[in-house]
Amino acid sequence: MAILTRSAFAEPGTSLDFKTGSWRTLKPIHNHRKAPCHDACPAGEDQQAWLAKLQENRVQESWETLTDINPLPAVTGRVCPHPCETACNRGQFDKSIAIHSLERFLGDEAIKNGWEYPNVDPLLPDAPPMAVVGAGPAGLSAAYHLRRRGYSVTMFESLTEPGGLLRAAIPMTRLPRDVLDAELDRLFALGVDLRLRHRLGRDVSLDELRAQYGAVFLGIGCQKSREWSVGGAVPADLHEGLHLLKGWVDHLSMPEAERVVIHGGGNTAVDLCRIMKRKGAKEVHLITASGLPGPDTAPDDVINVVPRELEEALEEGVIIHPHATIQRLIMRGSKVVGVEMVSLRKLPGSGGRKARVSFEGTERVLNTDMVVPCIGEVVDPEGVTDLLHGRSYLRPDDEWGRLDTANHEGLFVGGDARGDRGTVSAAIGDGRKAAKAMDAYVRGLSGPESDDREVISFSQLNLNYFEHADRAKVTKVPPELRTDDTEIEGGLTGPLAYAEAARCFSCGNCLACDNCWTFCPDSAVIKTAEKANDGSYYLFDMDYCKGCGICASECPCGFIDMIPER
Amino acid sequence: MLEIKDAQRLAELRRKHGREAQADPAAPVEERPDVRRRQPRFCGLESGHRACQGCGEALGARLVTETAGPDVMIANATGCLEVFSTPWPESAWRVPWIHSLFENAAAVASGMEAAMKSQGKRTKVIAQGGDGGTFDIGFQALSGMLERYHNVLYVCYDNEAYMNTGIQRSGSTPHAASTTTSPSGSERMGKRHLKKNLLAIIAAHHVPYAASASVAYPVDIRRKVRRAMDVEGPTFLLIHSPCPLGWGHDGAKSIEIARLAVQTGLFPLVEFERGEVVSVMPIREPKPVAEYLKNQNRFRHLFNDSDPRALEEREHLQALADYNIDIYGLRGDGPDVMDTDGVDTVRRGGPVQVM
Repeated sequence: MAILTRSAFAEPGTSLDFKTGSWRTLKPIHNHRKAPCHDACPAGEDQQAWLAKLQENRVQESWETLTDINPLPAVTGRVCPHPCETACNRGQFDKSIAIHSLERFLGDEAIKNGWEYPNVDPLLPDAPPMAVVGAGPAGLSAAYHLRRRGYSVTMFESLTEPGGLLRAAIPMTRLPRDVLDAELDRLFALGVDLRLRHRLGRDVSLDELRAQYGAVFLGIGCQKSREWSVGGAVPADLHEGLHLLKGWVDHLSMPEAERVVIHGGGNTAVDLCRIMKRKGAKEVHLITASGLPGPDTAPDDVINVVPRELEEALEEGVIIHPHATIQRLIMRGSKVVGVEMVSLRKLPGSGGRKARVSFEGTERVLNTDMVVPCIGEVVDPEGVTDLLHGRSYLRPDDEWGRLDTANHEGLFVGGDARGDRGTVSAAIGDGRKAAKAMDAYVRGLSGPESDDREVISFSQLNLNYFEHADRAKVTKVPPELRTDDTEIEGGLTGPLAYAEAARCFSCGNCLACDNCWTFCPDSAVIKTAEKANDGSYYLFDMDYCKGCGICASECPCGFIDMIPER
Repeated sequence: MLEIKDAQRLAELRRKHGREAQADPAAPVEERPDVRRRQPRFCGLESGHRACQGCGEALGARLVTETAGPDVMIANATGCLEVFSTPWPESAWRVPWIHSLFENAAAVASGMEAAMKSQGKRTKVIAQGGDGGTFDIGFQALSGMLERYHNVLYVCYDNEAYMNTGIQRSGSTPHAASTTTSPSGSERMGKRHLKKNLLAIIAAHHVPYAASASVAYPVDIRRKVRRAMDVEGPTFLLIHSPCPLGWGHDGAKSIEIARLAVQTGLFPLVEFERGEVVSVMPIREPKPVAEYLKNQNRFRHLFNDSDPRALEEREHLQALADYNIDIYGLRGDGPDVMDTDGVDTVRRGGPVQVM
């Protein structure tokens, strides 16, 4: 007599002879949609993928998945405005996942444990060398991804240290320099040839680079301040925002003033406000044409600042005037003593383009001893005049950063120099995409393909299987104790980080929760770790699947679709 | 592995009944893919059975046998479960299994249990049937089995009508549900009478354990089956099992509908020991019964706004649900990991609750 074991198996003569799969009109398939965090990430990270590893307590693998895309997680975890968290489906359930804190956790763990980048190909013997101009986030990312693909890379940087704006303009309260140094050291340890004090147009010309290298990436950023005046008037003692910030980050110098008006709506403006405030200015006013986040402001009109930084600025007493601009400078001789401010809104004009409309009767006067414009920068034409064609930025021809393809080949651009970026993460994404395209270019292949998968929406999840859970809280130095060089926001420790990662819904991808396996009335879902190769842990046994669709309905993550048979 | 003579006999039978012959009865049987063999759970009810798409009863039976098996024997009443799992000469069961009549599953199980006892074996006997074979036709045999205190687990898959014979009303059919013998029309809004409170009757036999469960909560079913298997003496499980054909809903929604039956209070999940309620699954936020009713054609007439009786019957069902919530104390006090919203929580690697 056969012995029945835990997994005893019936032989023919049983119903296994009868293939109920022939009844099916719909069949289940695994459909890996894009998680909204991934779709929103300017760097192109798949947060769902590395959170899944973290949920399995595979911390190093999680970091490796992350660094497949982004070489500097400890930096971006600190400085990125994290659009991933805004897009996170969990935000519609309770609170979004603290993705930036987890990214920072992984980055810090990697620094602490000395992890090395995975999947670095040895140098290809026959491949042409690649040139990268500018050691900012875009250039660093391009160099990293090129080096990992087996190319030898030479980087040209005009300053004495690599890092670009990360080093030159981001305050230490947001990005401690030891963290930046640790990540850059690890990157350069891959064997990237870094040539400091080499300025494009002065020490090396574009033609030389194009002659010596297989392809050239320009991550040169915007080094020239935009011209600023109000109706032609410019104060004699004008300080320009980014210049002040760089000076302060470099040698802690900052002109003194009682009442300061800062004009602009970006991170530079807010950073400067906070530094001025800490330096003892009585009043710091920020005048911005954008709005504060809230029901009154269209999503594309919100001030483009890391939300946390904006919150901290308000805590520290910075006064913000949203939806306003400076209409007139009140001068005594060549010195400014006040500004006339007026309300405005971005409204759709004729032809559909939004234009700024100021409103008569809303003029207000602010007394001030200093006005600082932080209205942005443009590409310094030195060395790239031919490529600018009279414009302010190096606008590429496609998302892969191909530049000026009508006149040149093998030129790529990314980061702030494009003119439509503005975050470290976007620059990192540009560098990665350009590296892909440069690889395709020197191999003579047609360009890389875009990922046009569908993004999974909140309504496609089955929320019955999730419980509410509090978002991890991080420590914060209170406003009165904040100094010039201590980091304000704290990080997560191990157990808190795991608990936070466990909150991820795994949108659009398998959670390995066993629901399909448990609920199939026909035992037509097979659980297997080895055989399933589509990112799941389950197979559909099409011999027996009747196509009822229970698995698709009860999948918490929207990973299963029912499609018509044939 | 089958003996050769069994295989030859099987081939003979296949010929007789016009089935395709297998290549060579003496040849080794074709191996199934290894993955199906190596599933990390016991499979008591195998694939290839003829249940409809989205069958709640097939799911319930699979969950019960995978938890109870492999050292069990089953006596089955007549009904869908018997018909779809054993179209002769095949069987979907991987455990010893007997079917005799509609009314005598409990009596057959009693005999099996007595035989095991006299042979000194501890193999557990399970009797199972649908609501027709349990609430109505097999009720006296069941009552006798409980009274004689046989060590048997009786499982009733409650799909609330005689589905196998064409959706006739049973003692379990809920009030106002339309069936082929209680159609809705000018005279009546579906079934006139109430659903029999079978669990209370079973509990009145002073049995050591009787409970209700739902296919929407597999973790809860597993725990209750283990508990019932552990107890010496007669035990009873009532498992709410949606029937897409008889209830008139999309098979893909079987679990959702079963979950709503519990979350509205219409099908309370309770446990009795010795006639007393010892535990209930609290409802976190009771849902309106209309949410449960609206996706089922058997209640479609309750949403005919031009008929004043429709609202009345809907309110009647709401009152019945509220009554259940009240007498069993189903309303939880705050979120609880074991309530109707917490117990089915999943995480990477499976359900959060492992009982």
